[in-house]
Amino acid sequence: MAEISRREFLRMGAVLAAGAGLSCDAAQALAAGLERVFSGQKRVLWLQGMSCTGCSVSLLNSDEPGPVELITQVISVVFHPTLSAAQGGLVTETLDRLAEAGDFFLVLEGAVCPKMPQACTVAGRPLTDLLPPLLKRAQFVVTAGSCAAFGGIPGADGNLTGAMGLKEFMIDRGIPVENKLVNCPGCPVHPHTMVTTLAYLAGVGYPAVDPATLTPNMICSASVHDDCPRFHHWQKQHFAEHFGDEGCLFKLGCLGPLSRSDCSHRQWNGGINWCIRAGAPCIACTSEDFAKRKSFPFYRLGEKYHAVAYDDADRKGTTT
Amino acid sequence: MSQTVTISPLTRIEGHLAIHTETEPQPGGSGVQVTQAHCEGEMFRGLEVILIGRDPLDAQQITQRTCGVCPISHGMASVRAQEQAYGIRPVQNGRLLQNLIASANYFHSHILHFYQLAALDFVDVTAVLNYGGSDRTLLKLKAWAQSALDRKDVFPVAPFLPRYEGDYVSSTEINCALLGHYADALKIRRTCDEMGAVFGARLPHSTALLPGGCTQKPTLERILAYRSRLDEVLAFVEDVYLPDLLEVGRQFPQYFEIGRGWGNFLAYGSFDLDDSGRKFFPAGTFIDGKWEAFDPRHISEDVSVAWYEDGPARHPYDGETRPKPGKPRAYSWIKAPRYRGLPLEVGPLARVLVDYHAGDNGWSRRPVDAVCEQLGLTPDKLVSVMGRHVTRGLETLALVRQCFRWLDEIAVDQPAVTAFELPTSGRGAGLVEAPRGALGHWLTIEDYKVQAYQSVVPTTWNCSPRDSKGQSGPVEKALEGTQVANASQPIELGRIVRSFDPCLACAVH
Repeated sequence: MAEISRREFLRMGAVLAAGAGLSCDAAQALAAGLERVFSGQKRVLWLQGMSCTGCSVSLLNSDEPGPVELITQVISVVFHPTLSAAQGGLVTETLDRLAEAGDFFLVLEGAVCPKMPQACTVAGRPLTDLLPPLLKRAQFVVTAGSCAAFGGIPGADGNLTGAMGLKEFMIDRGIPVENKLVNCPGCPVHPHTMVTTLAYLAGVGYPAVDPATLTPNMICSASVHDDCPRFHHWQKQHFAEHFGDEGCLFKLGCLGPLSRSDCSHRQWNGGINWCIRAGAPCIACTSEDFAKRKSFPFYRLGEKYHAVAYDDADRKGTTT
Repeated sequence: MSQTVTISPLTRIEGHLAIHTETEPQPGGSGVQVTQAHCEGEMFRGLEVILIGRDPLDAQQITQRTCGVCPISHGMASVRAQEQAYGIRPVQNGRLLQNLIASANYFHSHILHFYQLAALDFVDVTAVLNYGGSDRTLLKLKAWAQSALDRKDVFPVAPFLPRYEGDYVSSTEINCALLGHYADALKIRRTCDEMGAVFGARLPHSTALLPGGCTQKPTLERILAYRSRLDEVLAFVEDVYLPDLLEVGRQFPQYFEIGRGWGNFLAYGSFDLDDSGRKFFPAGTFIDGKWEAFDPRHISEDVSVAWYEDGPARHPYDGETRPKPGKPRAYSWIKAPRYRGLPLEVGPLARVLVDYHAGDNGWSRRPVDAVCEQLGLTPDKLVSVMGRHVTRGLETLALVRQCFRWLDEIAVDQPAVTAFELPTSGRGAGLVEAPRGALGHWLTIEDYKVQAYQSVVPTTWNCSPRDSKGQSGPVEKALEGTQVANASQPIELGRIVRSFDPCLACAVH
């Protein structure tokens, strides 16, 4: 009764593997990964940069494993700014000791801002000073969400802070990203994406990733458009004209073709709903360009009134 | 000898906050007493500037990212500002679904705040090592904690340890019950996000929410999915959350005296009951013990000691955001909103007091009187750390009950969004109540683009720094005079700050 049993790990591993479309072997490896994280061998340090905490909240929406198992047993969270009892000097001590001990997974939620370091500090220290030693000592580094992965909204056109994603920052600072950094984009990141990636890193190792975006192939291969439940409307050229209409949402602004994620399979919040099912155009929150350009709005209503700086091909992702 | 006592970073809130206090030795004791306090917001993104030049319809998406804990509040403020600028109103279904999505976001936020963020200041988690009962979750937690200690982990029992030492609850039974509810709360707040997703597509960051309503049509299946979860939330709030609040209140009666602050309050009001402007949570101010109607023209933001270019205090329609890190004598990224020049507290306590003093017909009259009677308090004692927690619980229950009525008003299978046109120019103010208090978005459109956008957010009010007149912000004021038993473990200060449920990503944005 006491310890979480091997059977439970196997069950969780199977669920994660099935979700990511992986084999039985992978299920066992994920189970072993979860067990390894649980047994305290793999510690997870979660830090926040220029974030909204939405990715942490999303992680707590995990349904398999559930949030209780997740934060007490599955992920051995050494420190998390929103959940940890530690505060003040206890936090900085923990970070110092961890940097010394090494051998941990570092998760970053939120963008980094090397051009205006004072725009994000922890205990008075710029995040851009705090991060490099931890990035060097971490075994693997995982970004939670599009801000940490690609700069996201803080890094959008017109930003004053120079907010950027972690890959760009690590390269700037001469910290290797190969076989070390995995990007888990999304605004917020899907809880399954985080848990599967962490379990895979612990149980198997560095996953196959897209060389440009460093996103795990097991999750970010197909586009939302490819697997869209409204794809038959697209084929029949049956387009929704107004919000709330039936039909393909492309003419309202849907960016499914630009979003590489498995939302259509996993849906959101335990499968209760997701954007397309609710009639809400996909905003491509997992894409590198998410929200980046003023001239590329989420919705297309404005086209009725004024010239726009894109055409259909840009929104279909068919331009080179 | 004065001594500086700092909590930096202050965790178990949203975002990057540091608290710096100056203290004097406590007369006749070993502790210290706070003489002055400073709240430092440590993170700036510049979302208002990023919005300039964008399609206004992007705003409810961009601004939801102000906060991943209460995204719907920002979505709603933006939607209201846009609706005003576009000259539209949501259809009845749209209004109802917006209310239901926003309510679900309240439930998740309030439950998360009490159990995950605040309770660890009161509950002794190590009590689980002495747990003798048969609850599976608690037995698992006990085994997990024990094995981490036995293995001599470098960081045993994280994230629950290390922690400040202090006057935690002493009863093993009460501690274990609260810890079990910590686990239950994690599940029930997830259920609340599912409710938000039933009509909002997903949480955090709803894509279905739009000016004029929401894209999700309310089918019977959707309504039942929401209602069955609402039943679970009602049971949790009635049977667990409120009794726990009262229990913690009984364990820490001194916290009905501590952390009072200015005692002046503001609520913009929220949750439209119809098209007439009647709201479930009414608008108003409660200043120097007097209720007054709320007038948005009295709002201004001061940047005297915030890291922005100097300028006069401005109304948000005329507001600007020009960062100036390193500005001399400034100490925070948070601006200082003022109402008629006064720093006002916002949040559940403000909403309850504004409702309670507005007249005899408010929702809060009976529950406030009942809880005060149970705890042997007068309502003025609610202006305190524990009062903020208790009023948060009371409004949760009231809103849960109201959601059943809104579900009954839905026209099944009928559209939930109004068609609308985009204007060449226009402006609008979206004033709502976020879980943490009064939230306003001010939008100006010119040539189909956002020309100006300003947000004044609950934690901007509560964690505001000083203004040109040197007046402390509400949290700063609430810290002043506090007695800290052990200056190296200032647990009392963390309890005061957390009672406001600060959200720093919101406050600065």
